[in-house]
Amino acid sequence: MLSIDHLVKSFDGERRRRRTAKGDDAQARVFAVNDISIEVQDGELFTLLGPSGCGKTTTLRSIAGLERPDSGAINVGDRTFFESRPGKRSINIPANQRGLGMVFQSYAIWPHMSVFDNVAFPLQVRPRSQRPAKHVIAERVTRVLETMELAKLADRDATKLSGGQQQRLALARAIVIEPQLLLLDEPLSNLDAKLRESLRYELKRLQRELGITSVYVTHDQIEALALSTHIAVMNEGNIIQLGKPRDIYGNPNSRFVAEFIGTSNFISGVVRGREGERHTVETTDGQLVLDSAAALPAGTEVIVSIRPEAVEVSRDAHPNGVANEWSGKVLTRAFLGDAVDHVVGVGKNELRTRSNPETSIEPGTTVFLRLDPAKLSLVPVG
Amino acid sequence: MTDCKNRVGRRTGVPALRLKGTGLLLGTALLLAGCGGSPTASNTDAKSTSNAPTAAEKFFTKTNKTPDDARRDALVKQAEAEGQLDLYTSMTSDVADAVTKAFSDAFKVDVNVYRASSETVLQRILQEQKARFQGNDVVESNATEMFALQTEGYLAAYSGTRRDEVSEAGHFDRWTATRYNLFAPSWNTKKVKKGEEPKSWEDLADPKWDGQLSMEVADSDWYLTLYKYWEKQGKSKDEINKLFADMAKGAKIVKGHTVQGELMSAGQFAVTASNYSYLVERLKATGAPVAYEPFVEPVIARPNGLGLMKTAKHPAAAMLFADWLLSEDGQKILTDLGLTPSIAGANDPLAGVDVIPVDVKELLNNGKVWSDRYDKVVSGGEVVDQ
Amino acid sequence: MTTVTERLARGKSAGRRRWVPTPKFLISGAVAVVIGYLAIVPLYYLLWGTFFDDRGFSLDGFSRAYGNSRIGELVTNSLWFAVGAAALSLTIGTALAYLNVRTDVPFKGLFFAASIIPLIIPGILYTVAWILLASPDIGLLNSLIEPVLGPGFFNVFTVWGMIWVEGLHLSPIVFLLMVAAFRSMDPSLEESALMSGASRWQVFRRVTVPLVRPAIVASILIMVVRSLESFEVPALLGLQNGIYVFTSRIYFVLRTYPPDLAAAGALAVGLLVFAMIGVALSNLVGKSGKSFQTITGKGFRPRPMELGKWRPVMGGMVILYFFFTVLAPLAVLLYTSMLGFYRAPSVEAFQSMNFDNYRELAGMNKAVTALKNSLILGVGTATLVMGIMAIAAWMVVRSKIPGRQIIDQLAFVPLVIPGLVLGLALSFVYLRSPIPIYGTLFILLIAYCTRYLPYGMRYAVTSMHQISSELEESAQVSGASWWQTFRRVLLPLLSPGLVAGWIYILVVSFRELSSSILLYSPGNEVLSILIFEQFENGQFTVLSALGVVMVLTLVILVAIAYKLGAKVGLRED
Repeated sequence: MLSIDHLVKSFDGERRRRRTAKGDDAQARVFAVNDISIEVQDGELFTLLGPSGCGKTTTLRSIAGLERPDSGAINVGDRTFFESRPGKRSINIPANQRGLGMVFQSYAIWPHMSVFDNVAFPLQVRPRSQRPAKHVIAERVTRVLETMELAKLADRDATKLSGGQQQRLALARAIVIEPQLLLLDEPLSNLDAKLRESLRYELKRLQRELGITSVYVTHDQIEALALSTHIAVMNEGNIIQLGKPRDIYGNPNSRFVAEFIGTSNFISGVVRGREGERHTVETTDGQLVLDSAAALPAGTEVIVSIRPEAVEVSRDAHPNGVANEWSGKVLTRAFLGDAVDHVVGVGKNELRTRSNPETSIEPGTTVFLRLDPAKLSLVPVG
Repeated sequence: MTDCKNRVGRRTGVPALRLKGTGLLLGTALLLAGCGGSPTASNTDAKSTSNAPTAAEKFFTKTNKTPDDARRDALVKQAEAEGQLDLYTSMTSDVADAVTKAFSDAFKVDVNVYRASSETVLQRILQEQKARFQGNDVVESNATEMFALQTEGYLAAYSGTRRDEVSEAGHFDRWTATRYNLFAPSWNTKKVKKGEEPKSWEDLADPKWDGQLSMEVADSDWYLTLYKYWEKQGKSKDEINKLFADMAKGAKIVKGHTVQGELMSAGQFAVTASNYSYLVERLKATGAPVAYEPFVEPVIARPNGLGLMKTAKHPAAAMLFADWLLSEDGQKILTDLGLTPSIAGANDPLAGVDVIPVDVKELLNNGKVWSDRYDKVVSGGEVVDQ
Repeated sequence: MTTVTERLARGKSAGRRRWVPTPKFLISGAVAVVIGYLAIVPLYYLLWGTFFDDRGFSLDGFSRAYGNSRIGELVTNSLWFAVGAAALSLTIGTALAYLNVRTDVPFKGLFFAASIIPLIIPGILYTVAWILLASPDIGLLNSLIEPVLGPGFFNVFTVWGMIWVEGLHLSPIVFLLMVAAFRSMDPSLEESALMSGASRWQVFRRVTVPLVRPAIVASILIMVVRSLESFEVPALLGLQNGIYVFTSRIYFVLRTYPPDLAAAGALAVGLLVFAMIGVALSNLVGKSGKSFQTITGKGFRPRPMELGKWRPVMGGMVILYFFFTVLAPLAVLLYTSMLGFYRAPSVEAFQSMNFDNYRELAGMNKAVTALKNSLILGVGTATLVMGIMAIAAWMVVRSKIPGRQIIDQLAFVPLVIPGLVLGLALSFVYLRSPIPIYGTLFILLIAYCTRYLPYGMRYAVTSMHQISSELEESAQVSGASWWQTFRRVLLPLLSPGLVAGWIYILVVSFRELSSSILLYSPGNEVLSILIFEQFENGQFTVLSALGVVMVLTLVILVAIAYKLGAKVGLRED
């Protein structure tokens, strides 16, 4: 559906410097997007996830046609939106001829138009030959507004909507032309937490129902995990890891990904032995056994990533004695409503744990931690 | 137009304009700006045309010699056939309106008036003539500007019995005085008690007027004439400089005679050194507490005159207008408006008053020197003779 | 975003199909050509006349203009006056705009009049009105306070007096510019600062002012240059005590024969240099334009800030301002217009009042023609300039067209070209042009468009800076072509600024005199010429009557413009 092939985009100012400087100094370029390739299948919700400045927005804007990449190719369906390769004619379809839908971070709702007019705009500006008749436009707009539960507000000034309504309006405007591809640029970042959560589900439902292939940009890993069919974690213009949410969460391929996706505990160690998938790792605080497909030989330096919810906290030691049981002292405790976090001091390390609210232990108490071998992951050093 | 390309090419090299990307714009603009030579270069274009007499000039030469009655009939007939007259003048609008109305009433000729200050009238004619644009048939303006036009060679010779009626002081090469602006001290009658008004020009230097006297910022023609007059009276340069310096001491410098008159009638100051008598007269007519009579003598008169354009499109109408304005009818209109006509009638308000004309020639030749000196006087600085 | 040149380059080198000029390219190109043409013609004339004489390149003009022992004083006076007037107008204009848009200050109805009327009153009249109010000898205000503070407390014939009159006269321009800026600012930005514990004053200083910085920078620039270029105030107030500035000097240099255009030009070039430094500085300051986009697609409901106990104080200040800028000058005009000649108010004076001056005006056959011509020119100029400038502002602020900054600078040039020089330049060109424009109303239209280009540019650029680029991009992604985006999204969002600029240009067109006087021809008189004639005739009383009529006409016009503007633009509560 969408394929991005070796996309490169350097910053404007840098490009100018490159042009004037003599010789090959490609090294000196600062890349916003550094040679990335992505394939998105029909009906997918593909997320570009990463911290600000990682190149995710530049990638999205390149798809939209709002930025002109330096080289590479962007195809949607059988249309080539952009292509620039040495020795080939370059193609760059202007944004307004790409027929995509896009929701902006600020929603970019036109304050001088009513709700209805905002949504009708993409239909009204079509070339005359493709423009639907007035009543057809009205029908389609009304239908979309109904889907978005905005029908009653059609005549309102767009500026007189609440945050959630504005977000839905922006979405309505983006999908009214039934685009092949929907682009969403941090659409939920301007909303409060509660609204964000409810809209997150609504967005997922809509995307499923409408079956629109979507590219979603966010820096919020929870959003990414909750919504996406696939996630590309980006940093400094590169894709670090690409995969399904569960894979990325469960098996981060780097400390960056593990750290960025949820809160992880990291403990460094050395692989002592391996039996099939089961590795034995020697850490400063004791031995750990864990399952990993990595199949690392003994002697490899590794980091073990321990998700807080992979740690079970108990006042008592396991009666039968199990693998990966450590003891430590509770340092702090935080009640989160649906969970309780403890930070437990183990040797020189501090481990963050997450458990259900019934387990709540006073700081200062000595506790036992059990780490589920299936839920630990190995991250190569570096 | 043959050297047009070269000029445009040369002009694009003006260094201050070497801005990246404007080349095209600049080129276009310059092309459109045409090929008229440097805007400030003196009038080479015009002078080349002044050799061969124009059609209008031939007409004027012929008519100048025609006897009075025949001249009048022929002019009326032909002027009415022309039907139009383009007049450029620095008369104030009320005067211009009255004059043109009377002229249009007397003859079937429509008058199109362009009215502006004398400098602007001059600027406009210079511009038009350099571009060989036939803008006006006749010009009526201040002496300085008329003199300039004559120097440029734009004016045609005019003679006849009407011109002869004008006193010798009003005869100039190629132009003829139609009226005089009189420079005379004037005062606010509420602030200056009867009997205390200035009696002579020297009185203005009296310290009693410090802070009460107003001078106009650009009256260098008045300054020049009074200076020369005092010199002729036998005053030394030092004495004269001191007189002017004393006048300027504490004086309120105002731009524009009109404002000066208004401010004086409102009481901003008591005495004005060199306002036009007709302006004061007009204020007086509205009831303002101002006066300029009895005249401080000698009254300094600056002629305003009329000249015929060599390029006139309506030569007959132009000449008819000149004849008419200098006729009894025309001069009476000026008198009625409180102006001082150049042909003194039976009830001459200036009868028995000593009048000296502004030295127009000196003004034109050394105007810059005098205006610089006057600038120094009014700004309170010392004037040192060269 | 594709740019014209990119597309152009692609079309030439590797386009799939033959390159056809897009509307974006054609319109931008046309606008660039028009601006370039309007600006370069007088500039060329000025520079050519300054640096070249019969014999070729020469700097004699400079030595004549600057080789004067008092030139230092002149420059100091000019800058002192310009900076002072700019500071005064900026303070007053910004404060009033803020009060009007963002607070619950009382008497909001007065702002409308206070923002327009001083603009309408011609400079000559406004200055004379102030002489009548605050001259040490005959000033009405002085005679009012004489029992308390002694005679001659106010003296308008000083640099301070000049700054006061010019600053007050200019403050409405700042007001108009700043109102547009404040109106488009998200109030939550201020509210959040207030919640952070900042006082109102801190919020204003630390949040509000930085956010409207582009508008402030634009205002400072215009005000300084406007004051440098102002003529009436220095001529009527400064000369009385020998205070010369650039413009009064230029005037004297130009009125000699033969006109010393080289020296006048050298002085004007001096002004040009100051102005260019200003433009460069303001570009530098305005560089970080992105962070100032305050109209975002996020809707906001402007909620006035409550002034609380300060409300009566601020209300009092509004009244005071209204009194000084509108009521007092207008009252003097109205009073004078009913007198036979000007005199201080007294029982006698009031008894003599009548409507003769208005009657005389009604009988003036030129008055109707002049009014009609002024209307045509005012509306035509305002519409043309703002239309062109809306596009130009997009080019300067949004596009990536190379050399776009040059458009900005060119559009600024006419601000420093004295009106008389502009008149000379235009007559020089059109007397030789095959297009028969000379002697018609069109040449005045061109003159006005040239003169008011810079103001249009500032109004439009300021507004453009405040529109978030996402609003434009979302239209593009929605499939709108450049022209559709411009017409349906940008234009309506720009409209508060465009309407403000339109009104400003309309009003000042009515006053334009210095270039009109040389370019008008019989039958093409405009109101300002008529005013000037009355002034030269010494008919202050008729002049005042004309001023009153003009103020009334324009107030009605402007009211209509506001109503229409509100319809197409952002609706207000």
